[in-house]
Amino acid sequence: MSSENLPAAPHTIEEWVHSYEQGGPLRGFRCPECGLLTATWNLACPRCGQVGLLEHALGSAGKVVAFTVLTVPGDEFLNDAPYAYVVVELDGGGRITGWMPSVRTVEGLTIGERVRFVPSYKPGVQFSREAEARDSGKVA
Amino acid sequence: MRETWVVGAASNRFGKMKETGREAATRVSLAAIESAGLAPKDIGYTFVSNCFGIAEHQAHVGPLINGGLGIPEVPSCTIESACSSSSAGLHEAFVHVAGGFVDAALVVGSEKLSHLDTLAATSYFATAADYSFETKNGATFPGLYATLASAYIAAYRTTPEMFGAIAVKNHANAARNPHAHFQKEISMETYLHSPIIASPLRLYDCCPFSDGAAAIVVAAKEFVKTPRSEPLVVRASARAGAITEMQDRTDLLGLPSTRTAAAKAFRQAHMEPKDIDFAEVHDCFTIAEALALEDLGFFPRGGGARAALDGLTTRDGKLPVNSSGGLKAKGHPVSATGVSQVVEVFEQFNGLAKGREVPRTQTALTHNVGATGGSCSVHIFSRR
Repeated sequence: MSSENLPAAPHTIEEWVHSYEQGGPLRGFRCPECGLLTATWNLACPRCGQVGLLEHALGSAGKVVAFTVLTVPGDEFLNDAPYAYVVVELDGGGRITGWMPSVRTVEGLTIGERVRFVPSYKPGVQFSREAEARDSGKVA
Repeated sequence: MRETWVVGAASNRFGKMKETGREAATRVSLAAIESAGLAPKDIGYTFVSNCFGIAEHQAHVGPLINGGLGIPEVPSCTIESACSSSSAGLHEAFVHVAGGFVDAALVVGSEKLSHLDTLAATSYFATAADYSFETKNGATFPGLYATLASAYIAAYRTTPEMFGAIAVKNHANAARNPHAHFQKEISMETYLHSPIIASPLRLYDCCPFSDGAAAIVVAAKEFVKTPRSEPLVVRASARAGAITEMQDRTDLLGLPSTRTAAAKAFRQAHMEPKDIDFAEVHDCFTIAEALALEDLGFFPRGGGARAALDGLTTRDGKLPVNSSGGLKAKGHPVSATGVSQVVEVFEQFNGLAKGREVPRTQTALTHNVGATGGSCSVHIFSRR
């Protein structure tokens, strides 16, 4: 098989990064066999093994299923700590991880709270509390 | 398959090494070979783990170790599986020896990060997560386990004292282990007053960045005949993988790769969790010990966190866990960790664990996780 004909996913990781850098929608994949929705780049479904995933626009809002507030940050977030790192269950299905610069203490967020993806010039998928995102007008 | 034994073991003191990782690896290797009553020329293959060797400007360290042992002609390869690297090396050695490809193999892990600052060391650790989908979104290694802890605490309504008891127990064990990084006990009060690193994880929930090196020799029973020490019979050598990214896991209350590897291991060994006398489990954070005890089948779901507080996993408990001090207090030189767990089993079987003996040493289990569970190794050992 020539390199031009190697299997490809509907989008590349670089295109995924552009999708959140440019304000969404967050690009994801859907498994045509089992219906799994995922943001993670894969050629085959991590749940059922089906090869050949479909392009799928993920939801922009959802609820927090787990989170931490980091006081010692990652090296690309040096000037941003403390911040929350969150796992979000998106409306319409699929989970995604992201970060929330507006959450600076563990009391500032609860599991189950609604959050919304907000476009940002900073790295990573950024979320705000839903009410906060609405007030700032920065709604994807 | 041939009956396969661990016949020699050695470790340096974890903490801060002045020497290079290569020197430490070579020294513990020779000590392990000599403890087996063998000579370097008896080794047929060397499996080396040195995840972050690049931090010392060194890849391909296997030939350097073999050269240092006077056996440059012996093949080597580097096995990388994040924090489970050297238990993956043990698995490869087992496959080679049990399968009859070599009679004896050396498994060695070495890591040195102490010449880096905390930020750089944290960044090296984070490379074992998914860079594009986790690290770039702000994740650190403590952050990922803290996220699991938040889900666990919400599900089971645990108290900080439960996690504190895990830290207190492992520090008490490490205080009696001359290989340990932290050879001092801590109180519950010290634990509870330690600063938050990544909520809900406090400083004393976290393993340290440690330098260290450990080695074991794996050999066929028929090759060794009369071992110098009480050998560990490898009853099971199992590995498993699982989805790395937390965003794609449907269940955050455990590590699926541990469950899969444990099921394989118990099946191989024809044993059940109740047959294990003591265990060394992967406690990079206290939450990881709680999850491991449940995923390995020792305690029911939600029961792992309170086991230490209830005295069930102390050295005199029903199932002594991490008599070495674990990653939490013995230290976590990433690539040496998996092998060092086996060093603890070797020392317990041979009466060398002075001051931290566990009461029953007929069988033991070691459990070693790669990063947040993308990889896992479970080994089961018994006496002859």
